[in-house]
Amino acid sequence: MTAESHETSEPLVRVENLVKHYSKRKLVGSVEEVRALDGVSFSIFRGTTLAIVGESGSGKSTLAFCLACFEKPTSGNLWFEETSLSGLKEKDRRVIRRQIQLIFQDPANSFNPRWSVLEILTEPLVLQGNLSRDEMHPRAQALLEQVGLSSHLGEKLPSELSGGQRQRLGIARALGLRPKLLILDEALSALDCSVQAQIANLLMELQASLGMTYLFISHDLAMAAHLADEIAVMSRGQIVEQGAPEEILTHPENRITRELLAAVPRLDLSRPPLAES
Amino acid sequence: MRGRRAISGWLVVLVALHACVLFAGFFAPYDPTEQDRGRPYLPPMRLHFLDNRGHFHARPFAYALKLAEGSFDQYEEDTRRALPLKFMVRGANYRLLGLLPSRLHLFGAENERIYLLGSDAYGRDQLSRFLYGGRVSLFAGLLGAGVTVLLGLCVGAAAGYYGGWRDDLLMRLAELFLALPWLYLLFALRAFLPLAVGPLEAFFLIVAVLGAVGWARPARLVRGVVLSAKERDFVRAARGFGATDGYLLRRHILPATSSVLLTQAAILVPQFILAEMTLSFLGLGVPEPVPSWGNLLSSLQQYSVLVSYWWMYLPALIMLPFFLGYLGLGSELQERAEPYKIER
Repeated sequence: MTAESHETSEPLVRVENLVKHYSKRKLVGSVEEVRALDGVSFSIFRGTTLAIVGESGSGKSTLAFCLACFEKPTSGNLWFEETSLSGLKEKDRRVIRRQIQLIFQDPANSFNPRWSVLEILTEPLVLQGNLSRDEMHPRAQALLEQVGLSSHLGEKLPSELSGGQRQRLGIARALGLRPKLLILDEALSALDCSVQAQIANLLMELQASLGMTYLFISHDLAMAAHLADEIAVMSRGQIVEQGAPEEILTHPENRITRELLAAVPRLDLSRPPLAES
Repeated sequence: MRGRRAISGWLVVLVALHACVLFAGFFAPYDPTEQDRGRPYLPPMRLHFLDNRGHFHARPFAYALKLAEGSFDQYEEDTRRALPLKFMVRGANYRLLGLLPSRLHLFGAENERIYLLGSDAYGRDQLSRFLYGGRVSLFAGLLGAGVTVLLGLCVGAAAGYYGGWRDDLLMRLAELFLALPWLYLLFALRAFLPLAVGPLEAFFLIVAVLGAVGWARPARLVRGVVLSAKERDFVRAARGFGATDGYLLRRHILPATSSVLLTQAAILVPQFILAEMTLSFLGLGVPEPVPSWGNLLSSLQQYSVLVSYWWMYLPALIMLPFFLGYLGLGSELQERAEPYKIER
C-alpha cells in the first residue's frame, strides 16, 4: 500500500498522545511512578500492518493492552473507526472490543487447559451469541481449516498440540469474531524459526484474503520488516523512530534501532567455521 | 494416573466406612438407647473359635460374662454359657435410612445380648452407639465442611476477583476469624442459647457454628487461586470476546478453585468431627440419649471410668480410620491441587 492511498482512506486506528503510568506504592516513602507509555501517537490504516519494535520493557505490551481495552490509559486518545475508546460505557466497549482481538505470546497460557480445541474455538461464538448451537460446529470446523489445522484436532486438549498448532488455534479463535484489527503481541516469539515462518505466511495470507489490519508487536526487527508496511521503534514508552521497513533497515537513525538491528541473527559465511576438537 | 488411583482408593475406603454408619440399623446389633441396667460397664466380649476344651467351632462364639466372685465390677467368662454368633438375625426394630422399617441385623446372639465393644453405665451396647453416633458426628462434619467451603468460596472469590477495598475488608475479617480462639467462641455462642435444646436444634446449631468459624482459611486459599487465575491470558482473551464477570467466574475462574476446595473440604471434615466431639464431650452438643461420638466419650470425664474401664476409649480408636481416610484423601487431592497442571 502506498503513501497516497493512506491519505484517501481513513485510518482504522488512531492513537494520539497515549500515556499510561503505573503507580507503585512503596512500603516507605512516596509513590513511585512507572511511565509505561509516555506520549505515543500513530495511525494504522485498513488492510496494513504496523509493527511496533522495541526491547522488553519499552511499553509495547502496555500499548497492546490499552488498544485491546484491557487497560485504561492514563491520558491520551484512542480512536477505532472514528469511535473514541476513552469515553465509552462498559456495554459499548464490549461491542468494540470484539473487533480488536489480541494474540498472546504464550500459546500455552492463552487457552483453558481443561477445554478441548472445539470448546476453545466456540467460546467467542457462544459469547457473541448470534449463532445457534447447530451453526457453531461447522463454523468452528471452517475456522480450523482457515488456519490450516485439520478438523480431527477438535477433541484434543491444548496441551496435546504443538507450539505452532497452538498459535494457529489462537488465530482461529480470534478470527471467529471477524475482528477488524488483530494485535499480535510477540505472537511469533515463542516459536522456533521454521514455525515462525509458517505462521508469518499464514498471517499474510489471511491479510490478503480477509483484508485484516495488524498491529505486530515484536522485538525481532527482521520479522517485523518482513511482515509490516510500517515500523515504529519504541523505547522507554516513546516512539523513537518510525518509517518504512526498507528505510529502517538500511538507514537506522536512532541508537536503539541500530542496537535492535545488530541483534538480528545473520548467517555470516565469511567467518571460519569453529575448529573441531 | 497414580494419584487418581490413590484418590479412588481412599474414596472406596471412605464409602465403605460411611456405609457402616449410614446403615447403622443393619450393622448395629441393638437399638442404641436400649438399656440393660443389670450389666453396666461390661467389658468387650471376646470372640472364640476354640472352646475351653480345645474343640474348634466354625461359628465364632462368645462366652457370657458373669461377675467375678467377691467383686462388684469385675467380670469373668462363664465357660458354661457359650453365645454363638448368629448372622442375619431378627432383632430390634429400626428404619433403614430412616425410611424402610426392618428388623434384620447383620449379627446377634440368641436369648442373650452380645457386647463386642462393651457396654456403658446403663448397659447400652457401645458398638451400636458408635455406629448410630457416627451418623450425627459425620453428618455434622460433612455438612459443616460443606457450609464452610461454600462460604469460603463466596468470600474468597469476591475478594480475589473484585479486589480493592472489598479485598482488604474481607481479608482483614478473615484474619480476625483466624485469630479468634474459636473453642471459647463456640462456648460463648452456645451459652447464649437455652441449655436444654432438642437434638435436632443442637445439631443444626453445631453445624452453623462450625461453618461460621471455619470459612476464613478456605476463603484465603480461594482468593489466591482466583487472583492468579484472573490474570491468565485465556481469561483476558475471553474478556476480549465480550465475556461478562459472571461468565468469567463461572466458566474459567471458579472451576480452577475446585481442587483447592475439595482438598479443604476433605481436611475440614475430620476437624469438624473433632469440634463436634469437643462440644458433645463438654455436654454442649447433641444431648443424651441420642448418641454421638462426643457423647460416647463424655463418660471419660469421670475419673473412675478413666482408670477402670479401658474399653470406654475404644470409640476413639475406631474413629481413627475415618479421620485417616479423610486426611489421606485430602493429601492426595492436594497433590493434584495445582489448578492448571497439564494432565498427562
